[in-house]
Amino acid sequence: MAKLAVAMILAGGQGARLGVLTKKIAKPAVPFGSRYRIIDLPLSNCVNSGIETVGVLSQYQPLALNTYVGNGHPWDLDRHNAGAYILPPYQKTGKSDWYKGTANAIYQNKDFLDDCDPKYVVILSGDHIYKMDYSEMIEAHIRKGADATLAVIEVPWSEASRFGILNTKDDDVITEFVEKPAKPESNLASMGVYVFTWDVLRKALIEDEENPDSNNDFGMNIVPMLLASGKKLCAYRFSGYWKDVGTIASLWETNMDILDKPEDINLTDRSWRIYSRNPVKPSHFIGADANVVSSALTDGCRIHGTVIHSVLSDSVIVEKGAVVKDCVLFPGVTVKSGAHLERCIVDFGTVIGENVKAGPSVEGEGPYTNHKICSEGIVVIERGLKIKADSVIPGNSMIDSDVSVSDDQNVIEEVFRV
Amino acid sequence: MFTSVMGLIVADNKKITLGELTGPRALSAVPFAGRYRIVDFMLSNMVNTGIKNVGVLTYNKYKSLMDHLGTGAPWSLDRKNDGLHILPPYVNSEATSVVGDEELAGIIDFLRTSRTTYVVVASSNVVLNTNFDEFIKAHQESGADISVMYNRDSNKCGSPCFILDTDEDDFIVDMLYNPERSTSNKCSLGIILLRRDLMIDIISRMMAHGDSHFGIHSFVKMYDEYRVRGFEYKGTALRINSVQTYFNASMALLDGSVRDNLFWSGESVYTKIKDEAPTLYFESSQVANSIVSDGCRIYGNVENSIIFRGVTVSKNTTVKNCVIMQSAHISENCHLENVILDKNAFVRPGVRLIGHPNYPVVIGKGAGI
Repeated sequence: MAKLAVAMILAGGQGARLGVLTKKIAKPAVPFGSRYRIIDLPLSNCVNSGIETVGVLSQYQPLALNTYVGNGHPWDLDRHNAGAYILPPYQKTGKSDWYKGTANAIYQNKDFLDDCDPKYVVILSGDHIYKMDYSEMIEAHIRKGADATLAVIEVPWSEASRFGILNTKDDDVITEFVEKPAKPESNLASMGVYVFTWDVLRKALIEDEENPDSNNDFGMNIVPMLLASGKKLCAYRFSGYWKDVGTIASLWETNMDILDKPEDINLTDRSWRIYSRNPVKPSHFIGADANVVSSALTDGCRIHGTVIHSVLSDSVIVEKGAVVKDCVLFPGVTVKSGAHLERCIVDFGTVIGENVKAGPSVEGEGPYTNHKICSEGIVVIERGLKIKADSVIPGNSMIDSDVSVSDDQNVIEEVFRV
Repeated sequence: MFTSVMGLIVADNKKITLGELTGPRALSAVPFAGRYRIVDFMLSNMVNTGIKNVGVLTYNKYKSLMDHLGTGAPWSLDRKNDGLHILPPYVNSEATSVVGDEELAGIIDFLRTSRTTYVVVASSNVVLNTNFDEFIKAHQESGADISVMYNRDSNKCGSPCFILDTDEDDFIVDMLYNPERSTSNKCSLGIILLRRDLMIDIISRMMAHGDSHFGIHSFVKMYDEYRVRGFEYKGTALRINSVQTYFNASMALLDGSVRDNLFWSGESVYTKIKDEAPTLYFESSQVANSIVSDGCRIYGNVENSIIFRGVTVSKNTTVKNCVIMQSAHISENCHLENVILDKNAFVRPGVRLIGHPNYPVVIGKGAGI
């Protein structure tokens, strides 16, 4: 059945820069903002934009993501002849392959797209926090007679060299795409949101696949190829809140933005709701001795200690006498009494033992110090661990059960499945 | 275990009104515990027992109940086979209004469409979280025709209530309605179990005798004719049959053991999903001993209260011993104590509203103060 537009969410990447948080789950399934998973934002944007056919390309650790998206019901994506489709790589007669790159992932699903027979395809990534009306972008694409439209956001000139930058001429027609330019000519950064006319993209994907030297990547290969062949590529300016949550520091910062700048992402806007799968837990409880300020909480939390400037997912327990400050706690975390956490991201179901002290106020370095993943004093703790009572964990540590540490320095008492 | 049981929930009770709270809605549709309606508990109990066919019997004012229940999806009752059936007053040309048996005709038709062996029938004025496995097992083992669940709450169960007198094997020998002096502490919870064919039999006889009203305790009252047995429920059960008991039941939720029993005993309580944002506590907020639901914005003081979804408590405002329902807005410099604020109520700046713990103030749905 012919459709106007179909969205494809690239959700197969590992997200290695999130360290232990993506050991067991793909990045788009990582919790965000107390109630959500990262993928809730693109999925909700699709539905709110009127796009009801959404392919979710999963590959790396797909179990949690596939279970989470399920039949698409929480996003109203369980429709006849439409809805959410989980699209993993699959075996074919002849050559079978994993998704080699973002473009290859779409190439391998061209049969799915041919069946949908859309006029336009929207390509989205599963690791950005933003609210955007894709229908306006598609309208701009149609109005300008473009073959491809790339959403762009103005970034500070000082930061432009960290992004994929688009150079444009009049009417925002794109002349060049430069990945992380040393001397940027423009401050229009690509947001990783693309609208393609399907016919044009289809031909480009086939051509790209035939090129053995290609990385099969949208930014690196498809966009330059279309530009070289004289296609019309336009920039679509977006001016709202947009954050990449690809690193520990940016994930932490984006969570904190909900507290510091709640109007920026505005999760309470009823006209552009962000949907999520419900945990089915009772309302949260704040105890008589608790102190909760400048924080976001959701169902199932039971707070008897102090929570300051933190984002708590469902079913978190903070015992009496525990202090949680500037933290992001994922579903089911327990913080035992006397523990003092600062700038910690604690993954699913981990139990922080009594009097554990963790965060940048603990000086020095330890066996878990990891400057590659952690920065700004943030501590990341893997899912399903029991952290020994009285442990002391300095900032920029990543508690990973696969790191071998001598017994006297090991902070992990137990590893359990969550 | 595979269960051959269907469920029937009596969604309203003509003898019970909760003042303005039941003005716009049936008793079972009254919001409770921050994110639920009273009916959610009994529906979840049935679903957690494995019951897949549930009828919800309504009289009038069922719009809000129907909005809430929808297709039954939140309870996994949106099924091709069986599922959730809302049974509004049954009116058709066959069931003549002369006899006035529409209510019973509706029920009997619903019972006949099912193939299960048993029926659980439950009232909607009690909040408890259990599955009925033990109840069913006890019924089967005792050889009773009809089983009725009770607990030993008679001193505080309020009115209306049905007190059960039993023999040593818990078979009912007498039942008293609102007795002045109780001879027993066994108070019915309004949940009965019987064979479906027996229930059809009894109802057809009621209809033949020209009865029109359906009441759960009409079945219990048949202890002379059938073997009617009591089954004691030992968990937490909160009865709601007046504004005062509604308020008391809400405040009881602030007791950790009551919350543990109702919410953390292993069985989930399902409800309609609202997709609210997380609740934000701002720097000026001060919250103690309270239940708070999603989508709230808390700037002020909240103490010993139940806050539903999407509520705003502004700066320099104190909310104490209150039940604040969905999307209510309380402006700055207010003081509310012992108040039940219904959905969408709006309290303007500087308002002081103080009720008594034994006589809470009720502000109706959508009211502006």
